[in-house]
Amino acid sequence: MAVLGGKKSKVSDEIPSSSMADIAFLLLIFFLVTTTFPKDKGLAIVLPEQGETQEVSQRNILHILINPTGAVTIRRGESQQEQTVRPDDVEAIWRQDVAQNENLIAAVKTHPDAPYRFMIDVLDALQSAGSERISLQILE
Amino acid sequence: MVKGGGGLERKSKASQEIPSSSMADIAFLLLIFFMVSTVFQKDRNRPIEWTQAAATEKMDQKQKNIQNIWVESNGDVYINDLPIPMEEVSDLIRPMYASNRELLVSIRSDRAAPYLYIDAVQQELVAAGLLRVVFATELEQDMTRERR
Repeated sequence: MAVLGGKKSKVSDEIPSSSMADIAFLLLIFFLVTTTFPKDKGLAIVLPEQGETQEVSQRNILHILINPTGAVTIRRGESQQEQTVRPDDVEAIWRQDVAQNENLIAAVKTHPDAPYRFMIDVLDALQSAGSERISLQILE
Repeated sequence: MVKGGGGLERKSKASQEIPSSSMADIAFLLLIFFMVSTVFQKDRNRPIEWTQAAATEKMDQKQKNIQNIWVESNGDVYINDLPIPMEEVSDLIRPMYASNRELLVSIRSDRAAPYLYIDAVQQELVAAGLLRVVFATELEQDMTRERR
């Protein structure tokens, strides 16, 4: 106690520690509430079952061939006509073609040496265009 | 103060207040407990370059239902921090899928990995009967869209 002229000071000389608990709990609750766990993200796809083959008319297939350079070759059904585009353009092509034929299936055939990202670019374009019938194959 | 009966006044030495100084210790203990016991991910992130996609969706799955398969650009496959030969992937995934039917696999591959390896992993998964697959990507913002 501070003694000043024999008079007792009423101020406590201890640092008040009772509010420390509140501070700690506040911190605890703050971090509990604000913590967000990084959610896994990605492009979801369902693979075909083993041995499951479906006969699909050539008319309903849009062949999308991915070359190692990243160039994308589009071939429609039976016609041998080829069209070389960029991965970004696949979205517009799919929208345009599916409007004419709603049973269209995208057959994505990737060259074994083509980097993964080109395939993802094409898959991204297809999924952005709302396509659900996608077949992933390797180009032989 | 406790007033004794019969006029005898005696000061109790016990404090009236509930001791609150240890409350902080309890709170910090809780804080440290949660910090230590929080499990983030089963496996460590491998040094891969992510692919980007604008159609990236969040997976509404519990962490325990997601199994990561890392595919590096040279074709090395890692599952739960262990390098796995490509032909053993299905043998490893099959019992996991048998014990948890909700399981889905997240293929985390380097953007430069040849597609050959991704296809091989897909074949292994199909052989294990696991059909729900997610190609892990990062969300591509239109602003950062690179020229391809």
